[in-house]
Amino acid sequence: MFTPISWNSLFSVAGAAVLGTLLVVTMFSLGIRLFMNAEHLKPKAAKGDVKSLRAEAANRAASYALFALSFGAVIYGILLIVPNVIPAIK
Amino acid sequence: MDSIVIVGLVVVLALFFDFTNGFHDTANAMATPIATGALKPRTAVLIASVMNLIGAFLSTAVATMISVGMINDASTLKPEIVFAGLTGAILWNLTTWFLGLPSSSSHALFGGLIGAVIVAAGFGAVNFDSILQKIFYPALFAPVIAGLAAWLATRIAYAITKRSSDDDLQTGRGRFRYGQIFSSSLVALAHGTNDAQKTMGVITLVLVAGGLQADGAHVQVWVILAAALAIALGTFSGGWRIIKTMGKGLSEVKPAQGLAAEVATAATILASSKLGFALSTTQVASGSIIGSGLGRSGGKVRWGKAGQVVLGWIFTLPAAALVGAISSALVLTGPAGIVIDAIVTVGVIIAIFQISRRNAVTHHNVASELEEASEVILTKKQRKANEKAAAAKARKGKK
Repeated sequence: MFTPISWNSLFSVAGAAVLGTLLVVTMFSLGIRLFMNAEHLKPKAAKGDVKSLRAEAANRAASYALFALSFGAVIYGILLIVPNVIPAIK
Repeated sequence: MDSIVIVGLVVVLALFFDFTNGFHDTANAMATPIATGALKPRTAVLIASVMNLIGAFLSTAVATMISVGMINDASTLKPEIVFAGLTGAILWNLTTWFLGLPSSSSHALFGGLIGAVIVAAGFGAVNFDSILQKIFYPALFAPVIAGLAAWLATRIAYAITKRSSDDDLQTGRGRFRYGQIFSSSLVALAHGTNDAQKTMGVITLVLVAGGLQADGAHVQVWVILAAALAIALGTFSGGWRIIKTMGKGLSEVKPAQGLAAEVATAATILASSKLGFALSTTQVASGSIIGSGLGRSGGKVRWGKAGQVVLGWIFTLPAAALVGAISSALVLTGPAGIVIDAIVTVGVIIAIFQISRRNAVTHHNVASELEEASEVILTKKQRKANEKAAAAKARKGKK
């Protein structure tokens, strides 16, 4: 009597939701991990230890890049629904 | 009664429903950042209201589905039936708000409308196939999907940031709070894209029924604007009772869990909104919080409260449908019935607000209770300020 569930649509939603969540959270968590690495290296780097200085800079740069990427993923998620605004305004 | 007057009444009632939807669902986005101290309560609801306002303009996919897909033949619907459906939705929404239950505003709306339509035009007028496909199945699966996503994300977040010492400041997990500001804003945005559309759908439905808009036409710009403003205002007024339940009732929330839960909620809602599913953001957010609670080792889920919330979900659609049906039977008697229905509805609304004032939950007391329950991670600056305040208090006590 009733149309059965549209499994394709359901799996699309589930896949997009799980993958999107994992992508953003993994990148942000890695960013925090690297940022804390940089913070731990900071005292040694301040004393002029070249190895620590380089490692601190690399960790910090990578962490900022990961924060930016996770922010970018969020923006992409928003952009996915923006095209719908055009028929609405018309 | 003049049909224009009834259409006007329904539009006002629909916007009031949108307002209640806003304050009922503020918790979906802002309960966890308030619980972890990422945002102060008033700041949180301000951000949520602005994001809801913006979100309402981003999509009308769900609005079109409600106005076109839920009812088999829109011409069988009269504005007074929509009026009756809305009273069912509003009264159930306010009852669950009073009880602090994060029930679905969407299901209250659909339930109210379904009950009213069945009394007016029989079971054949409702497109049960569309409801199953677009409402029932997503409602069944969405909290599970969001919970699974949040559970996995929490485990990953904790695994990545694990250190030999499990102190939150050493691991940097307290810094997830900064991410929470963005993730909770995203949830509020997603809520605006999803929930404001339901009011747009109802207003469009009544405009079609009143002969003021062609069947199948797009949602009008003034409808989008009015619905966006109503949900934003409702969100700003803050549903502190439900924030209390979601912030401390379901699980003890720490910043990493909060971020995982919010990202899972936003991702699920955005994915569903893209495909035109009328999803309950409340159910998704609750599923995410439970999932994140299970994901942290040592994390607790308060199953007693979770059970109450699920019971609320189960009863929402039939209870709202029952009120909608009674209201529909009343309005079908004629203009006098509509007036009586309106008076009774307003009376019940006032009574609920009056009773709620005896045990008021505001942004002042909700913050302290959540802090106690969720062990808020404080910054150095906040800790110093708290220590100073405690010392000052102690000095005053000695004097």
